[in-house]
Amino acid sequence: MAVTRQPPSALLRVSRQRVRERFANPSQRRGLLVAFEGPDGSGKTTQRKLFKTWLKSQGHDVVTTKWNSSDLIKPLIKSRKSVRVLSPEEFSLLHAADFRHRVEHQILPALWANKLVIADRFLFTALARDVARGLDLDWVLKLYQPLLWPDLVFYFSVSSGTSGRRVGAIRTPNYYEAGQDVTNVDDPVESYQRFITQVIREYESLALVFNFITVDGEKSIGEQHHRIRSLFREGEHRPWSEWNLDAITDWLAQSEALA
Amino acid sequence: MSTRRARLISVDGVSGTAVAAAARVSLAAIARTRRGGVSTWDASGLFQDLAVADEEAGMPSVRTLLLLYAADLAFRLRWEIRPALAEGRTVVVAPYVDTAIALGRAAGLRSGWLTNLFQFAPKPAGSRYVNQIPARRAPADAGLLEFVSEQMLMPAGFSRDQLMERTRIRLRELARRAGHRAPAA
Repeated sequence: MAVTRQPPSALLRVSRQRVRERFANPSQRRGLLVAFEGPDGSGKTTQRKLFKTWLKSQGHDVVTTKWNSSDLIKPLIKSRKSVRVLSPEEFSLLHAADFRHRVEHQILPALWANKLVIADRFLFTALARDVARGLDLDWVLKLYQPLLWPDLVFYFSVSSGTSGRRVGAIRTPNYYEAGQDVTNVDDPVESYQRFITQVIREYESLALVFNFITVDGEKSIGEQHHRIRSLFREGEHRPWSEWNLDAITDWLAQSEALA
Repeated sequence: MSTRRARLISVDGVSGTAVAAAARVSLAAIARTRRGGVSTWDASGLFQDLAVADEEAGMPSVRTLLLLYAADLAFRLRWEIRPALAEGRTVVVAPYVDTAIALGRAAGLRSGWLTNLFQFAPKPAGSRYVNQIPARRAPADAGLLEFVSEQMLMPAGFSRDQLMERTRIRLRELARRAGHRAPAA
């Protein structure tokens, strides 16, 4: 006997309606997505950990997702990075695939279940790095559609000198981190300095366009953490963003089809 | 720079086996001295790696798979297609962009997203389309659609057969738009 399935268009319609109802219901708790962005060595990982500990102490159910970390795509990227064969386009597309897989398997399920998701780097990392590699901003941004916008984006701002000094104090930047694929500079430290200057320039533009909350990464760890806490409290009770309707509908329709 | 006329010929279709056969026929029709070879899918090995991934990593969606297909195509362009074209040779690319676009459209993805995704791929000088559905027991590595039916989360509301059929219909539309009356069976 043939299995009766809902036609895809009907399923999408039903899912869209469910998402709209969820967005419009002020009594229902909602998941929150908070992104930490900034160049390497800007202190965002330290702040992310402190923030997570504090959120847990406040009773939040917290999920963390890191850049390039999906169990499915990360090994594919890692093996290709190790032999230095990725062009800027391939680099960009593979990271977009990793991001999409995490959105569908980690981030949206957690948000739908009212959890608080902290993203240590979000799609803005790709925008800053890929554009610094010479790719077109519009092309890269569209790879990430349907876009999922965080409720809050904390941008940790530091100078290229500070970034280089902090990273250099603990390790030598790797080939892609240093942008050696595009700078053609043999010395990773020198290459990093050139590349991160471009990346920071892109970040600064994105911070203006997308209204990031800038945290001065040159300040003390304690000062930064207290600022993040108070900014989070201000933004905690915002409604769901209508901009996320497409992304959530896509995912929900797929989940419904599997259920 | 070679003075010979370089050409990119695309062959698209739902059945990977039929596409590969059509590509061989297309290549044979090209003068031996101008043959640049056939560029087939997964030259980068991305899908091969994906096939052996841990089940717990979760199955990719069609959008994720198309991002990977585009990465594979970028690899093929860089290492196989463009070098041959630079030598003035003709390359048969099987499959190329339209198979992936048809799959994406069949699964309900927006055409604007798909067009943007493959913006980096040059327009072919000639196109050929094959109109067969993969055999039920075709191996997953035979082609993109065979892989999809084994290794991908089916899009909302689709069975494997429905997705294949809708992809075939979308591909026929693309073929018509490219000036072909009907794809060769």
